[in-house]
Amino acid sequence: MRFKDQIDFVRQHVKRNRLRVFMTILATAMGCAFLIVLASIAFGLQTSMKKELLSDNAITEIEIYSEDKLDKQKIKAIPNVNALVERAEIMAEGTAKFTLDERSSTPYTQFVDFEQLAKTNEKLAQGTLPKHDNEIVVGYQFAQTLLTKAQQQALDNDDEQTKKEGYSGKLLGKKLTFTYTVDKKNVLTKEMTIVGITKKPSREWDIDERVMMPLSMLATLKTNYEHVTDNKQQDFSYATFRVYASDLEAVKEILATLKAMDLSVYSVTEQLEEINILFTALKAGLIFIGTIAILIASIGIFNTMTMAVTERTREIGVMKAIGTNPKLIQKLFVMESAYIGILGTIIAIVVSYVISIAVNWLIPIALEMATGDKAYREVDLIFSAIPFELVLIASAISISVAIISGWRPARKATNIDVIDALRQ
Amino acid sequence: MITLQHVSHTFRIGKKDNEQLIDVLKDVSLQIDAAEIVSIVGKSGSGKSTLLNTIAGFLKPVSGSIHIQNTDLTTLNERSLAAFRLQHLGFIFQNFQLMPSLTTYENIELPLKIAGVEPRKRQQLIQQLLKRLDIAHVKDHYPNELSGGQQQRVSIGRALVGNPPIILADEPTGSLDSETEREILTLIQQLNAELGITFVIITHDDEVARIANRIYTMHDGDLKEATNDAL
Repeated sequence: MRFKDQIDFVRQHVKRNRLRVFMTILATAMGCAFLIVLASIAFGLQTSMKKELLSDNAITEIEIYSEDKLDKQKIKAIPNVNALVERAEIMAEGTAKFTLDERSSTPYTQFVDFEQLAKTNEKLAQGTLPKHDNEIVVGYQFAQTLLTKAQQQALDNDDEQTKKEGYSGKLLGKKLTFTYTVDKKNVLTKEMTIVGITKKPSREWDIDERVMMPLSMLATLKTNYEHVTDNKQQDFSYATFRVYASDLEAVKEILATLKAMDLSVYSVTEQLEEINILFTALKAGLIFIGTIAILIASIGIFNTMTMAVTERTREIGVMKAIGTNPKLIQKLFVMESAYIGILGTIIAIVVSYVISIAVNWLIPIALEMATGDKAYREVDLIFSAIPFELVLIASAISISVAIISGWRPARKATNIDVIDALRQ
Repeated sequence: MITLQHVSHTFRIGKKDNEQLIDVLKDVSLQIDAAEIVSIVGKSGSGKSTLLNTIAGFLKPVSGSIHIQNTDLTTLNERSLAAFRLQHLGFIFQNFQLMPSLTTYENIELPLKIAGVEPRKRQQLIQQLLKRLDIAHVKDHYPNELSGGQQQRVSIGRALVGNPPIILADEPTGSLDSETEREILTLIQQLNAELGITFVIITHDDEVARIANRIYTMHDGDLKEATNDAL
């Protein structure tokens, strides 16, 4: 029998028992949709956590904590290391101040190896990375910290509104006066030009008010500082280092090499791996629970197919009599149960996507109504996600269970005795 | 064409601990040639239907052999038997055994679909048969919308469409009135004469049996050749 004729045959029989088959398809769809929606919560939360983890950290970034033992050249020589970026901050007492006309700010100041940073994928909201000693990059919210004396005073009195006002003019290209003082003694005064502004932090609650200065400035500052204070400074600054790998695949190998060099390292990939293990277990558990729902639905398929075989005993007898291969009869019944499984699965996938979209839309609203906190709607949290792999897993389970459910009734059909069947 | 040699069959009746054995076919031997019409007449329970079922391969005899066109049916497995039936045998049943969900056209088309014949060829064959059997005007009717005579014509159409050399008919006119019975018997004689198809007819009706070239009588599992006059 040609495949198209087999399909027609199955469809013809399904049509004859529309209501019964529809109810079975509905039960299958409900079971499969339950599985998909349940597992989609694990997929959704995993996506949210990954997004959260990667929002602030480059996936190819490795942090190194052991400053003392660091051999920069050796690290740079490790295969697939794109850059080794040093970031330092002053530990010694003193105040870094930036002045623009009548406004001033004492932000968190970082000294960065811009030459190495340029080799990474560091992106700015505006401008470029500094190429000269008198160039700086400021944080996205730095302008808010540039306050007049009056505003500074108001802020000291806890007036939050003042902080939000800050400086509203264009910052790129502006020249700021950098002064570093210790005990009211001037260590260094230098005019610095803003050549770049960092990107807006991905987390809503993060604020980037820092100033990033060239690393070369740090040595000048230290010399001047020691001269002004007349004191040798052992712990003048503290540096952190970040290695940037060429790609994600290289991270694991670089991590191993750095660990072998007796360095304390951290990469978000390690945390991701742990999260993946946790969520794989969670997904497997939820899929297992969902499969139970499909198995319950499979009782319906078994029942429908058994009834179909019983009702069609005479027809099966005629088909066998006129020369139908018993294997073909079995195949036709298995196809019928597969048809129920496939239709049920298709409906389940569509319904699950609708539920998933509704869940992602409604839960933040519900949480906001319950807690009164608008952050739930502003933060882009995913509660339910249905990736293609979940669709594939659910379809495979649902259709396989449907076929297995129809297998026994189909076997029964092939064993029908022609003479008995024709007597009916 | 059809050769039965010493075919015997026994039915087991009753519970296992009180089982009875009934010999339904007793050492039956029969030779049917190509393009013959052979009738097997007998009362109910005489074993004539069992004989037809063994010829059709629905039933494996306890002993003996059944050769059809040089193939020993008793040696074939179920799959091979199905393929053999599809190619060599056509069936006409007393109560027509049409598929209630299929139209006249679709019922006749069924053996061709099973055999995997391509749609265009199927259409050609069925159109010819519908005309020949005078049922073209009811080709889209379902069995419950047809008269008994029309249903039997559809059944004959289904038996003929695969062009088998042998047709086995079990009480082909058993459910028909006398006028329709005559029409169907005439049709069988025409098909035999024009297409050279061999017919094996099981009947309890002497009138039906008389269209045969040879007549056999069946009595308690014994098969004997009879003459037209003896009926």
